[in-house]
Amino acid sequence: MLQKTGRGLLALLLIVLEWTRPGLPSPLRPICDLRVLNHFIKEARDAEVAMKSCREGCSLSESVTVPQTTVDFDVWEKKNALEQAQEVQTGLWLLQQALSLLRTSVTNTALHSHIDNSIRNLLSINAVLRSLNIQEYTPPASAVGLEGTWRASSATDLLQVHVNFLRGKVHLLLSDAQACQQDVS
Amino acid sequence: MTCDHLSRLLALLVIFCAAQTASMVQGARDFEKKASKLLQEEPENPKCFAGGRKDFTCFWEEDEERAGSLDQYSFTYNYQNENSSRCPLRIVPAAGGKRLFVCHLNRTQMFVQMDIQVHREEMLIHNRSLFIELVFLLDPPGNVTVSSTGQQGQLSVGWVPPPLKYMEDSMMYEVIYAPVDRHVGQVEVARASSELILRGLQSGTKYKVQVRVKLDGMSYNGYWSAWSDPVFMETLPSELDPLIMSLTLIISFIFILLCLTMLLSHHRFLIKKIWPTIPTPDSKFQGLFTVYGGDFREWLGQTNGGLWLTPALIYSEECPSPLEVLSELSLCPSMASPPLPPKASRALSAVRKEDVKTELDEREPLERGDSAPTDGWRPTPHDHWLMERLRAHHQHQVPRSQLSLLESQDAYVTLSTNNQGEDGLLDDTFEEAVPLEVLFASRKTVLCESHSDLGSVQQSSGSGRLSSQSSFEYPNQAWTAKGPLYTYMAVADSGVSMDYSPMSRADDIGKVVIYANEYKNEIPAHRRPFLSRQYPVHDEG
Repeated sequence: MLQKTGRGLLALLLIVLEWTRPGLPSPLRPICDLRVLNHFIKEARDAEVAMKSCREGCSLSESVTVPQTTVDFDVWEKKNALEQAQEVQTGLWLLQQALSLLRTSVTNTALHSHIDNSIRNLLSINAVLRSLNIQEYTPPASAVGLEGTWRASSATDLLQVHVNFLRGKVHLLLSDAQACQQDVS
Repeated sequence: MTCDHLSRLLALLVIFCAAQTASMVQGARDFEKKASKLLQEEPENPKCFAGGRKDFTCFWEEDEERAGSLDQYSFTYNYQNENSSRCPLRIVPAAGGKRLFVCHLNRTQMFVQMDIQVHREEMLIHNRSLFIELVFLLDPPGNVTVSSTGQQGQLSVGWVPPPLKYMEDSMMYEVIYAPVDRHVGQVEVARASSELILRGLQSGTKYKVQVRVKLDGMSYNGYWSAWSDPVFMETLPSELDPLIMSLTLIISFIFILLCLTMLLSHHRFLIKKIWPTIPTPDSKFQGLFTVYGGDFREWLGQTNGGLWLTPALIYSEECPSPLEVLSELSLCPSMASPPLPPKASRALSAVRKEDVKTELDEREPLERGDSAPTDGWRPTPHDHWLMERLRAHHQHQVPRSQLSLLESQDAYVTLSTNNQGEDGLLDDTFEEAVPLEVLFASRKTVLCESHSDLGSVQQSSGSGRLSSQSSFEYPNQAWTAKGPLYTYMAVADSGVSMDYSPMSRADDIGKVVIYANEYKNEIPAHRRPFLSRQYPVHDEG
């Protein structure tokens, strides 16, 4: 009797557990549609425009390290996919740091929403990169002395770099992603 | 051997040079096209464009007279956070006496701001900052093909995108298409694709299709390229849908049936309207056209028309044309006849009486007989009214001056309907009247016994017996002004111009026969019988 009840309970438990199985990270579907990135670029442009029209309470408290946005196709094509991915992820990380600093520096409430949006978008881009099976890379904590970086001293420069970085290197990486190439072919 | 090799090498070299020259010429032509386009569209100086991932060209324009030599100018540029560099310049002649100073770079950096400065002998003449990836000016798409999709009103357009890596997804295309005979075309936009299906086209029409390309403006941007070379293609001819055809046939068949039914049911009415019968006088003149061929005189001689009083005596050769009128009014004795102007009576008296008498004697029995049916007439109230009207009309309307004309020229032709006093009447009247086969009533008896109230009697025969005094013209105007109640007949000298108006009571009264053989008759078309009035004649004259 008890055995039967025990087996029944076990079966019930297994069924329940099956339903409520803890969410294992399932492989993400690759996000190859570049319209997602275009949307982020648009919002970054809006933030840049808003910053240009700001007069007060929109200055950077200190200069920040930002990634270089320059793309020389000859140079870019010489790098392999991993290097490109690392370069992009480093840049995204640097921008996140810089925008967080900007968020605290800026007192203009209208700009706060733009900056928050931009930070959220940067995180989303990371998710997109993950979906493309690009290995996650976190640069070392000390950003000083990193190659391929500039110093930005004003909020306008920072946001301009932000836009150019998304338009340039991030776009190139996503458009050339291996995962997407396999889907197309 | 060596000669062969050398010759082959030489040939290859020549071919290579030719190819290079050709490509250079083509390149120069392409550059000229792009330059002219930019000169129109870009306001800033220098004008710059990127032709590809690594190709970058800047230029500015100067007049030949003002331009200096090449070494006077310097083109320097620097990317953000980098040192400046110089670009070698070259001169390209342009149309309209202009010169283009051109800088070409084979290696570029994108997504970074580029600052350009142009100096002429240490003086800054142009300054510009730009992003190279935002000034693309590409070549038009190549290999444009247009084909039919197999469906009505559709064409499929395909092209080869410009060969730019990483940028194909950022391109957008415009397809312009129009029938060959029209100049204004429709435009369709396609993004990041290399083909497009045009719909809603006319069947069996030749279309002209062109394509151009531009970067979409998100990551990259630029100017619209030039239109590609036109491609022509004809759409499929229209097919007749069998269902629509059959329905159309059935409906048209039913419609035709309905029309025919309508026409047949109203065919008589339609025939009457479209081909109305032309009235001919055949029915009234029996035998006139069939037997006598339209010869009225002969027909008159042979026939005895019911309406016409044609006693044979009337047609005697020496007799003048008879003028017979059936008169019909009887008047109340109390009514006074309107006075006839004295001139009329004088004119009348000038008429020969003998002839009248002789003729009258001949005719009397006939006329008596003819007037027999009219016996028994008595003046009716309407007659009285008519008389009054006539008198009043005469008195008011005819002024004296006109009357003088009228009186001598009036011809009132009446027939007395009374038998009894006819002889006497006739004698009296004919003493003054022109010989005519007309019965006249004298003034005395006119009012009571005769049936006419107007009695001016003066006729002239057409055979030349008229005296000049008896000639008269008829002032038609005066007559026509009268009411429609009376018939007045005017007999003219050389011809009869008869002007009479129909009378209202004609049906009751009788019929009037009026004709004059040798007169110019204007017999009115209407066949209504009319009444003649007899005017009292002034015997005293």
